[in-house]
Amino acid sequence: MFKQFIQSLHGDEVYMLLSLMIFFLFFIAATVALIRMKKSHIEYMSDIPLKSTSSEELN
Amino acid sequence: MQPDKFYYDNKIVRDFAIATIVWGIIGMTVGLLIATQLFSPSMNMGNQYTTFGRIRPLHTNAVIFAFVGNAIFMGVYYSLQRLLKARMFSDLLGKIHFWGWQLIIVAAVITLPLGFTTSHEYAELEWPIDIAITIIWVVFGINMFGTIIKRREKHLYVAIWFYIATFVTVAVLHIVNSFELPVSLFKSYYIFAGVQDALVQWWYGHNAVAFFLTTPYLGMMYYFLPKMANRPVYSYRLSILHFWALIFIYIWAGPHHLLYTSLPGWAQSLGVAFSIMLIAPSWGGMINGLLTLRGAWDKVRDDVTLKFMVVALTAYGMATFEGPMLALKGVNAIAHYTDWIVAHVHVGALGWNGFLTFGVLYWLIPRIYKTTLYSKKLASFHFWIGTLGILFYAIPLYWAGFTQGLMWKEFTPEGLLKYPNFLETVLRILPMYVMRSIGGGMYLLGVIVMAFNLVKTMKAGKLISNEAAEALPLVKEQSTSKEFWHRKIERKPMLLLVLSLIVILIGGIVEMLPTFFVSSNIPTIASVKPYSPLELQGRDIYIREGCVNCHSQSIRPFRSETERYGDYSKAGEFVYDHPFLWGSKRTGPDLQREGGKYSNAWHYNHLLDPRTMSPGSIMPAYDWLIDQKLDITTTATKIRAMQTFAVPYADGYANIANQDLDKQAKGIAANLAIDKIKVSSDREIIAIIAYLQRMGTDIKNKPLNK
Repeated sequence: MFKQFIQSLHGDEVYMLLSLMIFFLFFIAATVALIRMKKSHIEYMSDIPLKSTSSEELN
Repeated sequence: MQPDKFYYDNKIVRDFAIATIVWGIIGMTVGLLIATQLFSPSMNMGNQYTTFGRIRPLHTNAVIFAFVGNAIFMGVYYSLQRLLKARMFSDLLGKIHFWGWQLIIVAAVITLPLGFTTSHEYAELEWPIDIAITIIWVVFGINMFGTIIKRREKHLYVAIWFYIATFVTVAVLHIVNSFELPVSLFKSYYIFAGVQDALVQWWYGHNAVAFFLTTPYLGMMYYFLPKMANRPVYSYRLSILHFWALIFIYIWAGPHHLLYTSLPGWAQSLGVAFSIMLIAPSWGGMINGLLTLRGAWDKVRDDVTLKFMVVALTAYGMATFEGPMLALKGVNAIAHYTDWIVAHVHVGALGWNGFLTFGVLYWLIPRIYKTTLYSKKLASFHFWIGTLGILFYAIPLYWAGFTQGLMWKEFTPEGLLKYPNFLETVLRILPMYVMRSIGGGMYLLGVIVMAFNLVKTMKAGKLISNEAAEALPLVKEQSTSKEFWHRKIERKPMLLLVLSLIVILIGGIVEMLPTFFVSSNIPTIASVKPYSPLELQGRDIYIREGCVNCHSQSIRPFRSETERYGDYSKAGEFVYDHPFLWGSKRTGPDLQREGGKYSNAWHYNHLLDPRTMSPGSIMPAYDWLIDQKLDITTTATKIRAMQTFAVPYADGYANIANQDLDKQAKGIAANLAIDKIKVSSDREIIAIIAYLQRMGTDIKNKPLNK
């Protein structure tokens, strides 16, 4: 199927390469960011919805 | 430090909740009505305001923008306040937002049956309403960002990122897909034509699914599911990765709605590639949701709200697995234009959006009314009848889609189409249409039971309009230089907004700009000429009646299609089509090469009563086209509008266009008279016949000086 994409590009390989590049850079950056994130921070963030501020909240 | 005392605004949440329920019932009832019209043409009720073509957009707009729209605002107004530990920025803006949105919906309910439509799917509303939507959306944005600015929680939880991405992307989509030139108070032409218009529309259409039906609901899922299960989300890391990946990839996928059309091949390929990648972030969200319930499945057994959430997430997973599959060219060749697509979107709409909304409503209403749910039994009944309703809806339609898609493509050993009569493939699937409407009816019954249950709950309790809360105020911290960069983004909503904007703009720009500015992408055809004034008027009647909802105008380059309909569609044929009318569903046959296939008399009789010419046809009768006089006062304005788009009418043609119109109309009336049909030449039916007879014929005329 990949061959089919390449053949249907009509000399516009630049789009294919550009999008692939953007895609990879984007994911590498995101993955690096996530790996470097601190555990305490993650716990803090995921607890935000559970912290009750309301004095009337029923749970 | 003393904590601040403040109050959460629950009244606005309650108002949006009621609007969600009311519009949900209305939108689904209209859906049920149009479902019955597909097997019983008498359900079109014999007048122009309730025909399928006009009220199908009413159904889609009502369930998307009224039901889901109000549910989004309900969820956002409830969760945003609590996640930010602040009351909404302005009660007044909230009220303007609420009533403005309801007025827009009422305007849609009035104008769509009247035939005021732009014909772009899910963007049918005409230009004055488009402007109103823009204003109200900005009001919502100000209210949301105002709240974010005065928050007492330093970090923005992932749900809020989804809300911000929703706000910014819907704004971009709505504005770009509303570039219209008004010709009267309720009529406009899109400035783009043909292929470009199609690309803009499906970039919009696909991302309306992404950023109206998906991202705000994921945001709601990330808040309400942990609350309901009383445990944090399974993986916060995954939620971040899937947020950025989802908004980045989704925006590219629009062209998968245009596979095998005359859209340039490279744009189709990009659409397919990104659609396949989309499975990863979509399933990231589903898995994160379902795994949040790990170790809490015993709660799911007892708690009906969690049951709704589980089915919602499962439906989301199914629909987002199926979507990439449908974007594969081989699958799309069979599925496109059939009921398979209708089944696919309803798994998403009924399962994901519907069930998540119901789950949130059952959880939230008792809380803001400080009471318990009136009847758990009724809620459980709703859950089961709703789930069965989805199955009864989707399975027959999948069956119908496969059956019809394969019948269209079947050849005899002699090499002829096995089912050359399109109607034969329709009649075969009518039993499935009946079953689908039963499934839809069951689903609607469940919603009515829910409405009763929630009204009883509201009566038993008392609304806590202002819920007291307290939290420490934010103090300005010295920023430590070693702080991680993503953490900074989480504190800076405006930066988050700008970054999301950049991320979503990339895909749109790469796909659209070359299609607009590189002329080799739309090869022109010398013999394709602008529409005559009468044909232009006829085309606008075609748009008004919503013919595009059942008839495509795009023949794919398959032998099964060129045998049935004629030469496949070429980009250069649509350069004067403001808007494009390719359609997305073939309830009836494709019409792109309709011109010259039948006599004028055949069209006249067919529009008067389709069943006299095609026994068993499910098309509504359009007898009012014979009674109604064509409004020719608009001709000059319409020609001038086309000239501003560089459609090559001669200078000053607008002033004399009606003479040509009259001449052509008299010719058609005289031709009909030969077949003993007496009709005045100033009727609407003459104009629509003129348009139908023109369709797809230009390409057959060879240019003169060659």
